[in-house]
Amino acid sequence: MDPFSALGLPPSFDLDARTIAERKLALSRALHPDRYVGRPAGERRAALSKALEVNDAARRLSNPITRAEALLIKWGDENPEALPSPSQAFLMDILELREALRAAGRAHERAKMDALIADVEVRKQQTLQRLSDAFAEVERDATKTRTVLHQFLSELRYLQRFCDEAEAFLDEMPVAQ
Amino acid sequence: MFLDIFDPLAPPQTLGIDLGTTHSIVATLRDGRPTALVTCDGTGLLPSVVYYGNHGMVMVGNAAKAHLLSEPTRTIASAKRYMGRGYDEQLASQLSHVQLARPQSDADSKVVRFDLGDRTVTPVEVSAEILKSLKKSAIDQLTNVGGVVITVPAYFDEAQRQATKDAGRLAGLDVLRLLNEPTAAALAYGLDKNTTGTYAVYDLGGGTFDITILELQDGVFQVRSTGGDSALGGDDFDRAIAHLMLSQMGFRKDATVPSEVVSLVLGVAREIKHALSQATSAEVKLPVRGDKEITFVLTRDELAALVAPLLASTEVASRRALRDAGLQPQKVEGVILVGGSTRMPAVRAFVEKIFGQTPLTDLDPDLVVAYGAAISAAALSGQGEDVLLLDVLPLSLGVETMGGGVDKILPRNVSIPAGARSTFTTYADNQTGFEVHVVQGERELAQDCRSLARFKVTGIPPMPAGMARLEIDFQVDENSLLHVSARETTTGIEQSIDVTPSYGLSEDEIEQMLIDALDHGEQDLEKRRVADARVEAERVLLATEKSLRQDASLLGPDELSRIQAAISDLRTVLGRAQNSADVKASHISSRLDELDEATKAWAGRRMNQAIAQALGGQQVEQVAHSVETARGVDAHVHEHEQNRAGRRA
Repeated sequence: MDPFSALGLPPSFDLDARTIAERKLALSRALHPDRYVGRPAGERRAALSKALEVNDAARRLSNPITRAEALLIKWGDENPEALPSPSQAFLMDILELREALRAAGRAHERAKMDALIADVEVRKQQTLQRLSDAFAEVERDATKTRTVLHQFLSELRYLQRFCDEAEAFLDEMPVAQ
Repeated sequence: MFLDIFDPLAPPQTLGIDLGTTHSIVATLRDGRPTALVTCDGTGLLPSVVYYGNHGMVMVGNAAKAHLLSEPTRTIASAKRYMGRGYDEQLASQLSHVQLARPQSDADSKVVRFDLGDRTVTPVEVSAEILKSLKKSAIDQLTNVGGVVITVPAYFDEAQRQATKDAGRLAGLDVLRLLNEPTAAALAYGLDKNTTGTYAVYDLGGGTFDITILELQDGVFQVRSTGGDSALGGDDFDRAIAHLMLSQMGFRKDATVPSEVVSLVLGVAREIKHALSQATSAEVKLPVRGDKEITFVLTRDELAALVAPLLASTEVASRRALRDAGLQPQKVEGVILVGGSTRMPAVRAFVEKIFGQTPLTDLDPDLVVAYGAAISAAALSGQGEDVLLLDVLPLSLGVETMGGGVDKILPRNVSIPAGARSTFTTYADNQTGFEVHVVQGERELAQDCRSLARFKVTGIPPMPAGMARLEIDFQVDENSLLHVSARETTTGIEQSIDVTPSYGLSEDEIEQMLIDALDHGEQDLEKRRVADARVEAERVLLATEKSLRQDASLLGPDELSRIQAAISDLRTVLGRAQNSADVKASHISSRLDELDEATKAWAGRRMNQAIAQALGGQQVEQVAHSVETARGVDAHVHEHEQNRAGRRA
């Protein structure tokens, strides 16, 4: 089942975290396995599979990238994971950022790393805003082209991956005493 | 003296058990309030120590502790640290008075075995002895004991949880749930203080460290993130002090120290540590060669310096948990301290530094976890407060890729229950089997993560390479335990999966332990199984009949008669079991399975109805639709069966 239906929400990119959390909670109250202790096995199984579907849906909708993908699938895009790559210039940019982060990491320049990550974080927010606007436009008028939307989503993925990698990188670094 | 009058009609009392590294506690609700029950030691805290004497004699608690100095290798302490671990995991190199048996085979190395001299025992069996002792105390005081919630460190991985569950089974307990210790603590704290908001639970016990960030609101306890170290605690502080003592006693760093001496210095180190929570300096006389003594002196500041490197790793875990929850340290409403080690002034000062606020210490850090477990056990049995605990997966779950990397299928800190589906394909022509290696952890290489299990999928129909598509469903239940199923999607055939856990006892080993524990072995075990199956069957019958009264409208045609037939079959076998000893547990369970099968589709529809109600009727249309399709399937199956019958005729 698509995550929007699983939470009983309209298929839209414009969903706030609070609504998602409320739905998740209301459904968890009804479906959490703890509510089915001592019930027949079939019922416990059914509750478990529904409960994890709800958790999965809430997780996918809470993250803008997976939410965008879910929406594209809902609109009939076969494979939203295989979108056209961002521009060459953008890719070069990311490559350089990654190099800079690793260099700063090797030199133990924590402040420099934090600054780099903060920069990317800002760009991520800007791209997210653009993506959100692009979705709003297509949602208003379904005949509008989705090319821009695909481009922003693709860029957002790269920016997010940079942030995730940076985080993992920081996790493995020894702490400054 | 408080006397409980036994009321045979009263529902059995549910229990919460904190199975700790150094102490274990059993608690229950009395008049709605959690209370620790008196253990065989006459206090609430039972030392988690088990002594194995001659002729199968077993002692638990202080009575066992008395043998620590005289027979250290037969007196097992801190067994929790070895739960779900293998011999190869370097625990052998830690300073400890217990002796680990060298594994004789590969299967042998999947669990740690304590060498008692004449035989070996596993940590699961040691834990089961502690649980049995607590159970006996509870039965002595409450007469009628029901389901049990056992707590585990939030950062326990799958194997460690499974080992805890196995210990419960060996002890003959009806384990309702494994509950994370910080969540249990928050439950007790939140209900006691009636608080709402986001809290951090800093839980430093005898052998494990957990940090959990969670939100408390209207009876809902939602974990945002969790982190920790399942092998860090007060024991390590004792060890650090003990190493210092040994060097002053003249032992070289790499010297082999006799078990008796190890046992002595570890015990003295613990006493000094406790003393330094009150005093700023403590001293003790230690024996050295030639019947002489030395005076060992330790100040509170020296202790703080000694444990600083150990505490530093709790900061890393705490910051990561905060980041995973998307919170600044100052933004948490309060920091709840749990575990005996948080009594140390050095630990309190450290927590204050991380979170920029004074931690909350108004509940007994030793009892709060057991209290939470007792509240949860009552809630699960429908006897207590209506609470909802939403927990998370502590460590990412992944599958090893061809190059030895890890393909993450579920990241850490996702809400549980959680599920994921991975698709695999065959790489050779006519390949009929497949092996999937599941690991848990955050590292990039599979070999750096904890190996959980290998799943062997067999019976794939012969096809050219890359044609077969194998779908594997991973389900993590509310206890963070993993369940797996696999299907080949081009043929739709459900595959059989052979699960080989990387660590832990096999089903056969547990079976054997259960048989060994009973006087008449196999016969007694079968009797117990029949009794359990009968209880289960009665429970299911009651539940099914209640559902029939409530939701008969969701039944498809023919479904009611099939369910009624299955009910009547089950009743027949139960009736026979009452009069004859020939009825086996498997006879009852196969009838139960038939009833389960007959009610399967209906259960799904009732679940959809529950969803619709939870969403305030927004999905009613959809539910109506799924009922229709469900009927369609039933009709289809029916038709198919008739066709087959027709062909046969």
